[in-house]
Amino acid sequence: QNAASPIMEELIAFHDHALMIIFLISSLVLYIISLMLTTKLTHTSTMNAQEIEMIWTILPAMILIMIALPSLRILYMTDEFNKPYLTLKAIGHQWYWSYEYSDYEDLAFDSYIMPTYFLEPGEFRLLEVDNRTTLPMEADIRVLISSQDVLHSWAVPSLGVKTDAIPGRLNQAMVASMRPGLY
Amino acid sequence: MASEVLAKPQMRGLLARRLRIHMVGAFLVSLGVAALYKFAVAEPRKRAYADFYKNYSPEKDFEEMKKAGIFRSIK
Repeated sequence: QNAASPIMEELIAFHDHALMIIFLISSLVLYIISLMLTTKLTHTSTMNAQEIEMIWTILPAMILIMIALPSLRILYMTDEFNKPYLTLKAIGHQWYWSYEYSDYEDLAFDSYIMPTYFLEPGEFRLLEVDNRTTLPMEADIRVLISSQDVLHSWAVPSLGVKTDAIPGRLNQAMVASMRPGLY
Repeated sequence: MASEVLAKPQMRGLLARRLRIHMVGAFLVSLGVAALYKFAVAEPRKRAYADFYKNYSPEKDFEEMKKAGIFRSIK
């Protein structure tokens, strides 16, 4: 899905970066394998392999650093604290979510999945709910996620949010959408 | 039969030469693959996002969505 929040954009760019490195390494390995399989020449004298061992230790270490640095940058970006405009509490039950907005006036409702036989044409199967959660766009929103019974997980793919709902624990996720829409 | 002396064929260092050529080739090929991916996929994607947001108005988008009727809380 296309990104709708700045963090998701960063995640997509990081995925492109990591995939590029994966293609680099895989193509190198494939080439070398085909090289090994298509020769009758062999090396029969004893080898003092210091130089090549040095190369194939240092080179992967550099590649790993190249992957780790952007990854850590994004990790700390997700935990950045921006003053949230709104707090939403998402509590998982079997098998629905209940949402509470308690900042100004208390508002709480349950959100059940829409059974397939109730869907109108144009609606998404297994994704529609009876009461939708409405949030302001272009605003930092703090989502507090917990669970009443078993482990759940609250995720919005295009906003780059996936946080586990653990009974007895309160997890915090920051959500900031850049465009209006249905997520 | 006139006997011509052929040049002595290369007998030593064959594997080393093959390895040398192909190792360089392998690194060039893999770097090429990475560069191809970066400039054919990653950069256009970043540019597409930048272009989308350059003249983007969330309010206008919101009005269009509201007119299309996808929101349930506001008509």
